Formats: sequence, C-alpha cells, structure tokens
Amino acid sequence: MPDAVLLVAALLVTELGMGWLALAMDVHWKQVHARARSPRSATVLRTLGTAALAASLTLCLVADTATMAVLVWMMLLAVSAATIAFVLSIRPRLLAPLAGVRRASIAR
Amino acid sequence: MFANFRLSLTWLHTWFGLVLGFVLMVAFFFGSMSVFDREIDRWSLPQTRIAAQPMPSFDRILAARFAQMTEPDPEQRELAAGRVTQPLPEKLKVTTWSAFTTHRDPVLSMFVGFEVPNSTLPDDQIFGDVTIDPRDGRVLSRDQLPIGSGFFYPMHFSLHISWYGVGYWIVGFAAIAMLAAIVSGVFMHRKIFREFFTFRPTRNLLRSTLDLHNLAGVVALPFHFLWALSGLIIFAGIYFPVIETMMHPLVEQHEREEATHTGLDLEPSGKPGRLSPVDAMVSAAKEKWASRGMPGEVGFLAVTHVGSSNAYVSIYRDSTDRVATAEGMHFDGATGRVIFEDPPVGPVETVNGFLEGMHLQQFRHWTLRWLIFVGGLLSCACIATGFIFYVEKRKRTHARDGHAGSRWVDALAVTTVTGMVVATLSILVVNRLLPENLPQRDLWEMSTFWLVWILTLVHAAWRSSALREARMSKAWPEQCWTIASLALSAAVLNAVTTGDHLGRTLSAGYWPVAGVDLMLLATAGIAAVAARKLQARARARVRDTVADNDTTLEQEPERA
Repeated sequence: MPDAVLLVAALLVTELGMGWLALAMDVHWKQVHARARSPRSATVLRTLGTAALAASLTLCLVADTATMAVLVWMMLLAVSAATIAFVLSIRPRLLAPLAGVRRASIAR
Repeated sequence: MFANFRLSLTWLHTWFGLVLGFVLMVAFFFGSMSVFDREIDRWSLPQTRIAAQPMPSFDRILAARFAQMTEPDPEQRELAAGRVTQPLPEKLKVTTWSAFTTHRDPVLSMFVGFEVPNSTLPDDQIFGDVTIDPRDGRVLSRDQLPIGSGFFYPMHFSLHISWYGVGYWIVGFAAIAMLAAIVSGVFMHRKIFREFFTFRPTRNLLRSTLDLHNLAGVVALPFHFLWALSGLIIFAGIYFPVIETMMHPLVEQHEREEATHTGLDLEPSGKPGRLSPVDAMVSAAKEKWASRGMPGEVGFLAVTHVGSSNAYVSIYRDSTDRVATAEGMHFDGATGRVIFEDPPVGPVETVNGFLEGMHLQQFRHWTLRWLIFVGGLLSCACIATGFIFYVEKRKRTHARDGHAGSRWVDALAVTTVTGMVVATLSILVVNRLLPENLPQRDLWEMSTFWLVWILTLVHAAWRSSALREARMSKAWPEQCWTIASLALSAAVLNAVTTGDHLGRTLSAGYWPVAGVDLMLLATAGIAAVAARKLQARARARVRDTVADNDTTLEQEPERA
C-alpha cells in the first residue's frame, strides 16, 4: 500500500518540521540545549521546519486528490504541533537529535 | 461598557463560552463519536457484524420491499395531521422511493416519501423508512437501536430535542458562539506564536489549564473554525428558510424553468406508468463512470413520481474517493434512457460541497477519519479546559465571599465532561446486557442513557460542595473511576455475549468491532490514570493548602 507509506512519511516529516520550528524558538531551544544558540541557527532551523512542512504537503498531494490532501495536511499539522508540545513538556531531550546536538552537550 | 476592546472580548469569550460551552461539548463529543457511527452500529447490533455490502439489485430485492412500505412513520403522520386543512386520508399516495448506503454499511436504509394533501406547507412530504440486510432483503427490527447512527449522530446535531426543531437551533447558536469564541480567543491570546508549543504541567493548575486550553485551541484552530462553520452551512436551510418563505415564488419559477431544461418533471403526469428494469440503468451508470476513469458503486438511488408515466430514476455514485458528494445521473423510468446528467458544479457549489462533504465524511480515507476524530477530541479538550479555567480562576474568591457560581459551573462541567462519557458507556453496557428480543429494547437503552446522565449530574452537584472550601470536587476522580470500570465492562461484555473478543476480531481483521473494543480499553486506561493523578493531586493539596492559596492567584494577573 504505497498510499499508507506516503501518509506515514507525511506524518513523520510534519513532526520533524514542527520540532524544528519549536527549536527555532529560544524557550524551547533552552529546554533541549544548555548553551545559547547563535541567531543564524535559528534561521536555519526555521527554514528546515518550513521546508519539512512543505514536503509533507507534497507527500499528501501525491497520496490523495488535492481536496482530500489539504484536509489531511491541515489535521497532520494540528496533531504534530500537539505532539511536539507534549514532548517538550514531558521529555524535551527527545528532540535533541533534531538540533544536531551531540549527547555530551545536552542540557541537564 | 468596558475599558477596552480586549476586556469586552474577554467578557464575550467567558460568558458565551461558558453558557453555550455545555452544548458545544455535547456537539463535539457526539460529533467525534459519529465519525465512527457505522462502527459503533456494528458493535451494538451483533447480527449485522458482516462485511460492508454494495447497493443490492433493485429489481430482485428493493422493488418488492419498497412495494410493501405503504405506511409513513406514525410519528411523522401525526405531526402532518396537525398542518393540513382537511383530515388526512387513510391511505397516502407514494411519491418517492430511495435507498442509501456507504462503503462502511453492511445494511441498507430505504425511504418512502408520501404526499401530504391539503397541507399548509408547499410540496409537503412525510417518510417511512426501514433498514434491511441487503443480501436477502430481510428487515431489521425497529427495536434494535443502531447506537452510532441512530442515537449518537442525532444527538450531535439536535440533542434529541425534536420539539419544534429547538435542538437544531440550540446547536446552531452554540456553533455561532464557537465561531465568536475562536475569533475572540485569538485576540485575547497575546502570545499566540511565542507560546504555540507551550504546555507547562508542573506550574500551578490555573496556568497549566490555560496552557492546555490555548494549545488545544491554537494547534487545531482551522479544524475548530471549519467544522463549526460547515455544521452551520449544512443546516443553513433550517436557520434561514428563505427558500420556503420569502423567495418561494422565485424558487418555484426557477424550478419550473429548470425542469424544462433538464427534462425532469416537477409533478407526476397523473397517468400510470411502469418502471423498466432499474438494474440496467445502474449498469449503464457504472459503465459511464468507468469510462470516465472513476469506477464506483451506487451510493444513493431514488425513484421520483413512483407509479407515474413520467417517473424518473436518479443514481448517485458512492463518493468514496473525494470530499464532496457526487453528481447524479437521471434516467427515464419508462424507457430507461438517460434524461439528464448533473453538470459539474460552479465555484460556490464547489466550496459548499467541499465544506459539507468534509463534515459528513462519506469518503473512504481511514487516516483522515482518525485525524478528524482526534480533531473533535481536541475541541472537547479545549472546551473542557475552558470550564476548569473558569472554576480555578474564581473558586477561592467565590468560597471566601460565599458565591455559589463556581460550584455550579464545576458541577455542570463534571456532568458534561466525565458524566457524558459515563452515560455514553452505560448505553453500550446496557446494550450488551438486555435480552436480545426485549420489546422496545431501543427505549430501554435510551432511557438508561438519560437516567445515568441525570445521576451523574446529581452526583456532581452533591460532590461540588467541596468548592465551598475551594477544594477540588471528588466527583472528578470518582466519575473517572466509573468511566474506567464501565469501559472495561463494555469490552468484556461484548466478548462474553457475542464471542467476538479482541483475539478473534483482530485475527479476522474485523476492524469495526475490534476498533471499538480497543478504544474502550484505551478509555479505561486513560480514565484510571486520570483518576489516580486527580486523587494524588487532591492529597497533595490537603497537605499544603496554605502555600497553594498564597501563590496561585498572584501568578495570573494578566487575565480577567
């Protein structure tokens, strides 16, 4: 079932995108990383996040007709944003790999 | 009246959200249930636990069954008798036959329309309906309640208040309040982007409740808005009946013109006629769909002007692969040739069809179905946390000044949050306990639901006396435990009374029943965890009431 694979991929890419967008914010970066972040990395993270969300929309459009795809994408955004918010409040360090942070420098 | 715009919006958000929030909670919770109405139907009607069936042969099965449906629904007949100038004749003339099914339905709903002569309403019709097993045409007993589509779904949009359609109006007002609450909420929320991902469960209850309220509201904002809006659009005809009132002469003229254009007569010819084989028309329609690269099954089939020489048959495709519902193909009943095909719709109708289709979800897309279900639950979470915030914000001052306000809001919140789930689970439990052939079994089930819901209100009101001392009402954890035990019982009772335990349904891949059972178990687990956490919190509260009293209110100075 290639459609199912596409949709699972879309979900994962949306989560990734929301994760990057969250880490582009100072508050959430500090939850994951001890050291302050350079302003440039915020731009990089924001760009990565936006690109991931665009990629997930593309995946949805490949999987379904446009009207259906837009609905699926809109709901994936909601679910992913909520998941990332819960991860940040319960286990923020799960997002460390997204920030390209090495284990040693992870915030305690 | 208010010092600034934000304060007036806060007033609007608080009070409309509070008063109509209870209705919204019902609409969104049962709306979420209705996303899986057909699956809940299978769970509650074990004799229909078979694979979904396509529309059966009209000539072999439906025609004979339609011919036997000579009486309208007694309730509808009684209502119609109140709006006619002459007494209703014993036998009413049949005008339409129709049958409806979806890709998730193993059973078929059949409807017969009857003309109401001398009515004060234009084109007045009443209906009779049956549900059949499409494999052999056997009629399902009316005493068997399909709990999903027959109880939860009407609850979602009418609250089961049929008196003068008051239920539709209450839900409609609530939907408008929802739209107003969304807009005002966006304005009130000063850090909508900065706190987009923010949930701080370790902060005080007031802060974390508000975080959750904002989170559930903001991340699913398009969902909340679009679903409240499309719900209103679906019933726009009820709320603004301009077509039947102000614009009626214009509409009549338009209908006449359209009839000459389409060749579909508005009135029966008065001469008797015979229907040529409908199955041939169905095959012709299917061939045409296939030739256009969109093969499909029939979702809706209708015969207009039954028994008349100008009868016509309308066939609609089961719209499984798109959001909007399909256009129809209309055949001459006497000759079987195509009279007219609905043309592709214009831009306004396209948007309308999309919004309605997205709300009604006839499509085949399980991922989207689940996502919409989650969206509905996020709406419920947003509304429920709104109630809790209201109570948390005020309970100490109310307790100090002897106000009962937060106490009653808390009692109603318990009733519409946990109480509603308790009542919902009770109807499932009682569905598995009542004898299979009990007369008026449906009435017993529905009465149980209402009785249990009232009991949860009584329980919540009794336990809310704790609010007088600004403590948490014990009704919350107690009803959570009730939910946990009822959900577990429902799943166990299904296994015991039908033999369709999870081992069997999962290995057979029978998802309608397996899915409901898994959701019941998940509900039981979540409710048990919630109950334990609430009790732990209450114990901690008792230990350091003083410290808590000092800090909580001061940390939240920014909101009214």
